[in-house]
Amino acid sequence: MEVDVIKSKISAVLVSILEHDNFEMHDELTAKDVDGWDSLSHMMIITKIEEEFSIRFKLRDLNKLKNMGSLVSVIQTKI
Amino acid sequence: MNLILDIQRSIEKNYNNNAFCFSNTYYTYRDFAQAISAIRIKIQEQIKKDEINVGLITNDDIYTYASIIALWMEGKAYVPLHPKFPKDRNTTVIKQADIINILDSSDDQVFSKYHTILTKECNTSQINLVPVPVTKDDLGYIFFTSGTTGTPKGVPITFGNLSGFMDAFWELEYTITDTDRCLQMFELTFDLSVVSYLAPLIKGACVYTIPKDEIKYSYIFELMEDHALTFTLMVPSILHYLRPYFEEIDCPAMKYSLFCGEALPLDVTEEWSKCIPNATIANVYGPTECTIFCTDYTYKRNGGNKTYNGILTIGKDMKNTTTIIVDDDNNQVGEGENGELCLSGIQLTSGYWKNEEKNKEVFFTKEYQGEKTRFYRTGDLCAIDNEGDMLYLGRIDFQAKIQGFRVELSEIEFHAKAALDKLNVVAIAFTNSIQNTEIGLVLESKKFETKQLLEDLKKTLPQYMIPTQIKFIDSFPLNTNGKTDRKKLNKLFG
Repeated sequence: MEVDVIKSKISAVLVSILEHDNFEMHDELTAKDVDGWDSLSHMMIITKIEEEFSIRFKLRDLNKLKNMGSLVSVIQTKI
Repeated sequence: MNLILDIQRSIEKNYNNNAFCFSNTYYTYRDFAQAISAIRIKIQEQIKKDEINVGLITNDDIYTYASIIALWMEGKAYVPLHPKFPKDRNTTVIKQADIINILDSSDDQVFSKYHTILTKECNTSQINLVPVPVTKDDLGYIFFTSGTTGTPKGVPITFGNLSGFMDAFWELEYTITDTDRCLQMFELTFDLSVVSYLAPLIKGACVYTIPKDEIKYSYIFELMEDHALTFTLMVPSILHYLRPYFEEIDCPAMKYSLFCGEALPLDVTEEWSKCIPNATIANVYGPTECTIFCTDYTYKRNGGNKTYNGILTIGKDMKNTTTIIVDDDNNQVGEGENGELCLSGIQLTSGYWKNEEKNKEVFFTKEYQGEKTRFYRTGDLCAIDNEGDMLYLGRIDFQAKIQGFRVELSEIEFHAKAALDKLNVVAIAFTNSIQNTEIGLVLESKKFETKQLLEDLKKTLPQYMIPTQIKFIDSFPLNTNGKTDRKKLNKLFG
C-alpha cells in the first residue's frame, strides 16, 4: 500500500475518534501535538487502525509508535 | 522517628545497589545519597526552620525523589505540584498550603514568581544522611484531591500516619528484598506513588518509573519483560488496557502484583494470574485520608474468591486500621447489611488542611469497644460477611475514579457552569467498552461548538478530569424524587 494511502486512512481514523481534523499529517506528528489524543483515545485509535488495515499490533509495537512516521512504517511491515 | 532512620540505614547499607531506573538509566543508592545531601544543603541555606510545607514539582528524575527524602531529613513536608496541571489549580494549592519555597528539577523553572531551588544544580561531594529529629506529629506530605466546591482539599499526612502504614504493610508479608525490582507507575501527586518508592527504598530494592511521554500500559509491559520486575502496584485500569494482549505476556519473575484505586473485577484477575504464574495477587483498598491503603485481600488462585457484582472483595482491615460499617446515624449495621465504610486508627489523617467545615462533615467520634474513637466516613458503600471480609458495593455520593484518581463530579460541573454562563450541566462517570471509567458531560441546551468550553476547562482542571464526550439534551429527565435522573443520562454514553 502506498504511504499516502496509509496516511489518509490513519487521518480518517483520527477524525472519527477525535471528532476534529485540527492536525496536519506529517512524519513528526506525535500524540502530544493533537488535541484529545491521550492514553484513553490512543487505545481506541489503535483498535480502529487495526480494524481498518486488518492487522494486529503486538504489545511491544505500541511503544514504537512514537510519531506518524513510525506508525506508518510499523503498519507497512504488517500488511 | 524510626521511619526516617530506616531510610537512612537502607541507603547507607546499599550504596552499590541500583536505587532507580529512569528511562533505562540507573542510579545507585550512592548517587541517590549524593543528590539528597546536595539538596539538603540548599534547603538549610534557603528555607527557614519553621517553614514546613515545601512545594515539589513532580518530574520523573533522581532529583525529584531525592528532594522528597531531603525534605524529610530536614523535618519538612512536600506538597506535590504537577507541572502539567493548570496554573490556577497549582496556585490555589500553593496558597492554601502556605508554600513559600518550591523545589524544581526542570531546566526552566515552572513557577517564576515563587522562590525556587533548582535541584538539578545542587552539588556536593559530602554525603550527609543524618536526619534532624522529627516527631510522629510532624507532617510528611500534603496531597490535594478533588473537592466538591471547585477547590481542591488538602490531606495532611504525618510521619506517625506514614509509619503506621509501613508497619501494617510489612505485616502483610508481601516481602521486598534488596534484589527486587519494583514498579512505580504513579504520578507523584497520587499517594499510591508513596508506597511505590518508599517500600523499595527501605529494603534496598530498585524502583522503575515510567517516563512522562510514554503510554503507560505498554511501557509497564516492557519493564515487566525486559527488566523482570518482581513487585508491582497498579490501578486496575492498566489491566483493562493490557487485556487484549494477555496472550503475549509471560512474566514468571513477578512475585507480587497488587491492585488499588479502583474496583478489581474477578474475571480479569483470573486471566491476569496466568500472565504472572508465580505471583501472589492482592487487592488493597484505602483513601488518601487513611494513608495510601488500609485493607487487604489476597487473591486465591484455586478459586473460592469473594465477589459482589463480579468485583473482588477489599478484604479485611490491616494491622493499624479499624473499620466499621454504619447507617445514616452512625450506628453499626449487622453482618451482611449495607452501610457506609468508616475508618479509624493511626493511619488516619488529623483532618483536611484548614477546612473545618468539611472536617465536621466526614469525621465523627463514636464509642467503639469502650473507647472514644475518631472515625472517617469514606463515602464507600460496603457490607461485611461472616468472615469479616468487606464487599465493595459502590459510592454513596457523586465521586468517580478515573484511572485511580478521585474525581468529584460536582467539581467538573462547577467549572463547566462557570464557563458556560448559567447553562445546566451534569457530569457523568460511565464505563467504556474496555471497562474503564470515562467522564461525560451533558448540557441542557441546543447543540453548539464545545471547543471553547474544553479550552476553559483545561485551564482549571487536570487532564484526567476533562470530559471525553459531550452530549446535548433539551431538558434533563427527572426521577421520581424530582431530581435529575443521572441514571438515564448515563445511558447516553458508552
